[in-house]
Amino acid sequence: MGEMEQLRKEADNLKDQITAARKAMQDTTLQEAAASINVVGRVQLKTRKTLRGHLAKIYAMHWSTDSKLCVSASQDGKLIVWDSITTNKVNAIPLKSSWVMTCAYAPSGNLVACGGLDNMCSIYNLKGKDGNVKVMRELAAHTGYLSCCRFLSDSEIITSSGDCTCVLWDIETGTQKTIFAGHQGDCMSLAVSPDFKFFISGACDFTAKLWDIREGTCRQTFGGHENLSRINYILDLCKLYDLRADQELITYQDSSIMCGVTSLAPSLSGRLLLAGYDDFNVNIWDTLKAERVGVLAGHDNRVSCIGVSSDGMACCTGSWDSFLKIWN
Amino acid sequence: MSVKMGSSSTSVIQAQKLVDQLRVEATMERFKISLTATDLVRYCQEHKRSDPLITGIAASSNPFKDKKSCVLL
Repeated sequence: MGEMEQLRKEADNLKDQITAARKAMQDTTLQEAAASINVVGRVQLKTRKTLRGHLAKIYAMHWSTDSKLCVSASQDGKLIVWDSITTNKVNAIPLKSSWVMTCAYAPSGNLVACGGLDNMCSIYNLKGKDGNVKVMRELAAHTGYLSCCRFLSDSEIITSSGDCTCVLWDIETGTQKTIFAGHQGDCMSLAVSPDFKFFISGACDFTAKLWDIREGTCRQTFGGHENLSRINYILDLCKLYDLRADQELITYQDSSIMCGVTSLAPSLSGRLLLAGYDDFNVNIWDTLKAERVGVLAGHDNRVSCIGVSSDGMACCTGSWDSFLKIWN
Repeated sequence: MSVKMGSSSTSVIQAQKLVDQLRVEATMERFKISLTATDLVRYCQEHKRSDPLITGIAASSNPFKDKKSCVLL
């Protein structure tokens, strides 16, 4: 028992060290640094297109890098690739398992992936020789649901799972290249850095972790090092974390918002943060001033997913009302 | 090895892993918020003018806006 006690003490000491190191960086706040700039003017986006075709709740959507095509996943058991400009369905892919929770478009535009309660990540080739879209690979090894997936290239994809791990896969061989273990709760989402060197995972242990993809190591953990000495009421909030200062910079909250955030997407410059909520709306925040500058109302149920296209020209929302909407 | 002993040695391994990870995170080089926040503000300001959702998009160059059928002669 002496060894456990010692390790616990060491862990507490290191947590205190991290808290102190972070405090030492607090020579100012984001509010002060942004004091001299004005809040962005009111942002009023209109629904330009409604993508109709799914027969059940939409759980995920992802833009293709061409800013024209996008893929959506619904629990009607279909993956649909849409031309967002014409609203035509380019592909309607029937899935083996209808319990899909995530989908992704490869940067090349050649592949899409999805997964969910089947614990697998299925890769589909959109550019097969005979024109039919077929399953190219089924990546199976997770012992929990697939919550999110993102391609690094046509040969590598990263997945997050309810089994508390994230995995880097070799799509060609269908094997796990690297397992990113460390979270103490279901991994719910992941985002890859623009240079493809890092990714961040969010989990039900109330933390977000920054991972070095090639090294396979966790570099930073956000939200979990504080030693809680009393019970805190946990609200559903949106927070901005700074990687270099290693801490939270600002919280996006408003007393009129009483519900949870389901999805997030920054605009091209990062100045706007679009967030989907349980109350069927999307709130648009000025990232630097933490003020609400717009609302997208139009869905008849929870907004489950959101994405801004690579060229920043449009925002796409997916909802439990079975529709996707394109806004700008 | 009894189950009890097995589970306590697993806990020790897990606790050691946590300490090792915390040590890695404790030694990272951190930067002052005065530097990082200024960089963030500067980046957003520099790219604001080329952010279509902020600047707005002219109807003629908006691929998502339906073109009107009537043309002014």
